Amino acid sequence: MSAKHIASAWVARLALATIVSAPTIAGAETYDLVLENKTVNITGKDRTATLINGQLPGPVLRFKEGENVTVHVTNRLKEETSIHWHGLLLPSEQDGVPGVSNGFRGILPGETYTYNFQIKQAGTYWYHSHSATQEQSGMYAPIIIEPKNREPFRYDRDYVVVLSDWTDENPDGIVRNLKLYPGYYNEHKRTLVNFFREAGEKGLGAALKDRKMWGDMRMDPTDIADVAGYTFLINGKSPADNFTALFKPGERVRLRFINSAAMSYFDVRIPSLKMTVVQADGNNVQPIPVDELRIAVAETYDVLVQPREDKAYSLLAESMDRTGFARGTLAPREGMVGEIPPHRPRPLLTMADMGMSFGPTGLDRGTPHPETDAPGHVAPMDMEGMDHGAPQASGATHTMPDGSTMAGMSHDAPASAGPTHTMPDGSTMTGMDHSAMGHGAMADPLANDTGAPPGAKVLSYRDLKALSSLYDAREPDRIIEVRLTGNMERFFWSMNGRMYNEAQPIVLRYGERVRFRFINETMMNHPMHLHGMWMLPRVGNGARDPIKHVVNIKPGSSLDVDIPADAEGNWAFHCHLLYHMEAGMMRKVTVVREAAAND
Amino acid sequence: MTTRTLFLRAALFVAVTLTLAPTAIGAEGPPGHTHAFAAVGEPAKPTVSTRSVQVTMVDMAFEPETVKVKAGEMVHFVITNKGELLHEFTLGTPAMHSEHQKEMATMMDHGMITATGVDQKMMHMDMGGMHMSHDDPNSALVPPGETRELTWKFSKDAEIEFACNIPGHYESGMVGKIERSR
Repeated sequence: MSAKHIASAWVARLALATIVSAPTIAGAETYDLVLENKTVNITGKDRTATLINGQLPGPVLRFKEGENVTVHVTNRLKEETSIHWHGLLLPSEQDGVPGVSNGFRGILPGETYTYNFQIKQAGTYWYHSHSATQEQSGMYAPIIIEPKNREPFRYDRDYVVVLSDWTDENPDGIVRNLKLYPGYYNEHKRTLVNFFREAGEKGLGAALKDRKMWGDMRMDPTDIADVAGYTFLINGKSPADNFTALFKPGERVRLRFINSAAMSYFDVRIPSLKMTVVQADGNNVQPIPVDELRIAVAETYDVLVQPREDKAYSLLAESMDRTGFARGTLAPREGMVGEIPPHRPRPLLTMADMGMSFGPTGLDRGTPHPETDAPGHVAPMDMEGMDHGAPQASGATHTMPDGSTMAGMSHDAPASAGPTHTMPDGSTMTGMDHSAMGHGAMADPLANDTGAPPGAKVLSYRDLKALSSLYDAREPDRIIEVRLTGNMERFFWSMNGRMYNEAQPIVLRYGERVRFRFINETMMNHPMHLHGMWMLPRVGNGARDPIKHVVNIKPGSSLDVDIPADAEGNWAFHCHLLYHMEAGMMRKVTVVREAAAND
Repeated sequence: MTTRTLFLRAALFVAVTLTLAPTAIGAEGPPGHTHAFAAVGEPAKPTVSTRSVQVTMVDMAFEPETVKVKAGEMVHFVITNKGELLHEFTLGTPAMHSEHQKEMATMMDHGMITATGVDQKMMHMDMGGMHMSHDDPNSALVPPGETRELTWKFSKDAEIEFACNIPGHYESGMVGKIERSR
């Protein structure tokens, strides 16, 4: 075994011949990580950060598919810590969640802990602390895994783009503030003045009714994000520091977007440049050109761009709540600054936006705490017509040979999917993208409304089709209902009304296919993350539904996500919004062999 | 098929046909009409002496990625798709490919082609005498597992690429170069 130097360089210049990669023999490498508190200065003020090897973000770990990895982690903090390998398939003991992963109790101050596992996949992933709020204060970093076989795309340059949210506040203080007053960070809270303005516009009755409904929901209509006051970073650099990625005009550039933010979603675009999405959560997808994509917390997307002009292009990642943005530049030379387009207004959630969709059968679904049901239980629900990807309302469906449906037509189409949707440029029906269509009650629950202009293509989960089907499209063995619940006015977050410390583990049988039927009863997006196993959101692409480790569940919507339970042991399952997880939106998932389950 | 579906399809096809009409693909122009593909040479009929070049398609790449031709040479391409997705082999300049990509996106949006195949019914549906198809001589659509042949005379001096213009494929690097020597 050899100690491998961990390169801190963000840039890897690739040979044009990457398409024919030389066969590599799986090695056995050792990596050393040291965790310590260091002073950083992001906003002009000195603050204490929690860093990996003194870097923000931590060093890129470059693994090879098939490699046996040994990582020594030394804790020089004053508190317990841990490292979780986000999205990696490995034994539970190596997964790094204190109190959940088999036999893992965290890494104590002064201790060096050794992880050892084999790399069974390829793509872009990341690693971070799974203890307290260390992730918020800087403990996150990328993982890049080189595939055994050549990749199904070609590029000349390769950049990692780590998006994150930095706060000068002590994260523990944020938790305190949110518990005391959940609207603490909401600078856009509706006021009495707003109320009278609305009453003028909508009529008093409508405004009052609206208010009452918001009150009943225990939510605040402007609560798109809980925490504001963030500075948004690209590879640790603030917008002023302007991370720059170099290119020569005409080159293909791979950008590996990783959302390492604690609480922030980003709407990512490079004005005047198409991005072709080639991977989602580390897995290859059929390439899909888009103008813009929304990246949920903890997701990754790999895109290819081909800037042809000798000019600077801005890389923009607006936070979904529009309190700010991360900015970088693609440029042919150092020191260039791209133009920044005008600020876009923040989306205001409306009841129609949410669709008030509490699931297929409304509020009366029978199973109040279904996750505690014994293994083998199948929820007594209609299995037909439940595929939310199925185009029930659309007449113009077209089934492909692989059994999936045409992406362009498979939206739960409102009756308006007629010729009126020819876009202003007369060209395409990408205008079927419901994000650009305003919001009727039947708005596509998967469309992302970023405020992109009509005709601009915004990525939706429906556009993601796995390039290789790891799993077939069979029906699940049973359905487990996972209602996402919370009380924002008291800042607790839960599943099926129970917080983590009140709930039993969700027990799955090894080898079964389980469907998590997510029903988001809250006003916020929740990026749901399952450790150790893939999640297959049923978006209407059959066996080519995307293979993900994080699935965003939009406010007031429901989505079926299938889980092939193919990894034994104890796994964390939680909302990846850090403070939601801390507040209780988490479960332990235990996968047991049949024999053990019957004990 | 419901009445609404018919109406929808009719509307789509009018839109598609209008969009595609002025372009090379599917345009059945009058005699003497100048085809865009003429910029990179002309279709030809192979003879026993025509050089044959094997091109393999995999998911989002060509092998080989460069084909050398002599000025004026006639080449018989035998193109096999070993990938899981539908691919295209089109000879053209970068600008021609860029234009054609928009047409391919439209065809994809309207179901004439899918990620894995060609819908012949949709492709050849006749709408009030307006017909559209993907049958230009400088281009071949090759479904997974199948082989197509195309003979071309490189009679024009131009920057020529062979490319797959199915949405996202060119962008992923599925493009090769014709190196034309004198």
